[in-house]
Amino acid sequence: MLAIRFVYFYKTQRSYPNGTKVRITDRISSEPIRYEKSQYLKLHGLKIYLPLYPEITYGDRVVIEGLVEKDKLKEAKLVSVSENENYLYLFRENIINFYHESLPQPHSALVAGTVVGSKSDIQQEFWESLKKSGTAHVVVASGMNVSLVAGFLISILAGIVNRKKALIFSLIGVWVYAIFAGFDAPIIRAAIMGSIAFSAQELGRLGSSFRALLISAAAMLLINPGWISDLGFILSFAATLSLILFESKVRRYVRFMPSLIKEGFSTSFAAQILIAPILFFTFGQFNILSPFINALVLWTIPYITIIGMIGGVAGLIVPPVGKLILYLTYPLTSWFTAVIQLF
Amino acid sequence: MTVKWKYFIFLLTLITATIWLAVLFYPDSRLRLIACDVGQGDAILAISGKTQILIDGGPNSRVIKCLDRYIPFWDRKIEVVMLTHPQLDHYKGLIDVVKRYSVVNFITSGLDSSSQEFQVLKSQVGGRGIGVVNARSGTKVRVGMIYLDILWPSSAFSASESKPNDVKEGNTASVEETNDLGVFTSKRDPNDFSVVAIMSFKGFDALLTGDISPDQENQIITAGLAKDVNYIKVPHHGSKNGLTKQMLDATSPEVAVISSGKNNSYGHPHAEVLQMLREKDIRILRTDEVGDVVVESDGDKFWIKK
Repeated sequence: MLAIRFVYFYKTQRSYPNGTKVRITDRISSEPIRYEKSQYLKLHGLKIYLPLYPEITYGDRVVIEGLVEKDKLKEAKLVSVSENENYLYLFRENIINFYHESLPQPHSALVAGTVVGSKSDIQQEFWESLKKSGTAHVVVASGMNVSLVAGFLISILAGIVNRKKALIFSLIGVWVYAIFAGFDAPIIRAAIMGSIAFSAQELGRLGSSFRALLISAAAMLLINPGWISDLGFILSFAATLSLILFESKVRRYVRFMPSLIKEGFSTSFAAQILIAPILFFTFGQFNILSPFINALVLWTIPYITIIGMIGGVAGLIVPPVGKLILYLTYPLTSWFTAVIQLF
Repeated sequence: MTVKWKYFIFLLTLITATIWLAVLFYPDSRLRLIACDVGQGDAILAISGKTQILIDGGPNSRVIKCLDRYIPFWDRKIEVVMLTHPQLDHYKGLIDVVKRYSVVNFITSGLDSSSQEFQVLKSQVGGRGIGVVNARSGTKVRVGMIYLDILWPSSAFSASESKPNDVKEGNTASVEETNDLGVFTSKRDPNDFSVVAIMSFKGFDALLTGDISPDQENQIITAGLAKDVNYIKVPHHGSKNGLTKQMLDATSPEVAVISSGKNNSYGHPHAEVLQMLREKDIRILRTDEVGDVVVESDGDKFWIKK
């Protein structure tokens, strides 16, 4: 069935001969990247560069005209842009803006990236050092961030309620996070996979969780076969698979570690086993120290995510309170940026 | 120790670390005048204690990097932004600045520009209720311990060379009183309307020139407004259509700062200007050579920070 769906998808995939004048009307489903002189986005497989203003954001409905040249849209012209009125998008927009109003770069970009997976405001230099150190995945909304958040929640809750209740609350937390982060395809995917990996890890049934992961991945590909080449999807899948397969083994080897970083280390190290080669292929850079760097910085991610989330929501209601809470991420993001810039 | 306690202690540690970072980066009350390396354009930041003044925003978002580096993380307020004139290499970066920082006041000449980016800036400034002061020679502004004396444009010059936007019948309000960014247009080169100001911090004076042209410099000197300064921001990125010998004679600066991009297409700074500065033994500091140029002063002496 999956094979049929794939054939159908690629058969019906539109392709245009060079020089065709096209008019694209669509909603922006991946965040435009802002460069010094232009903003870049991808629609229908076409690379489009537009002037910096008017600014286009994730979720906007746009009409763009231009000439097709291979995989680029030349002489691209923005005919119209209308903001998405959906309140979840507006909520996400407002939160991202609040981060940038409250914290300096690159700290604000790191918080926005980890909490809601927003990449548009990451400055070139910082992005380069993220890629070089093999930590760029923290700003891609993926199953890995979801698992980290869930892992953190469960270790807090386990001290308060019993293990089973803790698991349920953590899963609720994951889905609240998903709604918070825009509840768009990549986030939903990440949340599904994160939930599966996490339940598997906690319940300890390796075989069934492996099956559950494959089924949910297949179901997602049935909905949209194009996702197979989507980095967020691949990372979510690989990280989840890696966690299912290796986490418990890694944990056995790191018993000597202090408990505060043990969980983070075993999770990040296990995920790295399958993620590192993927990052190497997509970003073209591979740092042999990457697992080590990740181990040094990944423990900060759940804290940044959760403090960022609480601070962001509080900030929309009472800005000064939100700001005070967000300041607490500053030592963590400072640590993160200092470490990755060392390498 | 229970898990609950562990997280509580972690939270306390985090709060302590945050407070320490805030204290460690608490700025002293000396003046720091930073010519940000924004490529071909101008962006100059003055900091003293918790007070910041930004003069122009450069052509891109590199100004944000500069602000974020020198302003402590908990201070997101810029007291004054001065826009010398509405050309892209001076204001485009300001769009990001007003979005990221809370800007209290704008000082500008009032000259409008029809470019799309300027309209974006206008709507941002208007939408956020930022106060706009259209300065004329004689205007004095005090922000914390920093004083700004506006030398140019003169009221006479702007009255004779400009045409107010949408003049309605019976509307006789002068441009100084409106609260909009860009209230008149002119046939002249926008450079001629550049806001020129002397920034003073106790005994330290800096002449900030925007992109002012020789004719207007002469008018400033004739009006007797030029005085001895320590620091000059060389007008127009070191173009020969900028700094004049007369201006140097009238102000006798010790340090000249040139804000221009590496290998820019205009050939700024021009050899004639560099020659003029060398003849007078004025120390030249260029953003295209050293990056951010940081000059610090305690109000008495001043020095260049490495």
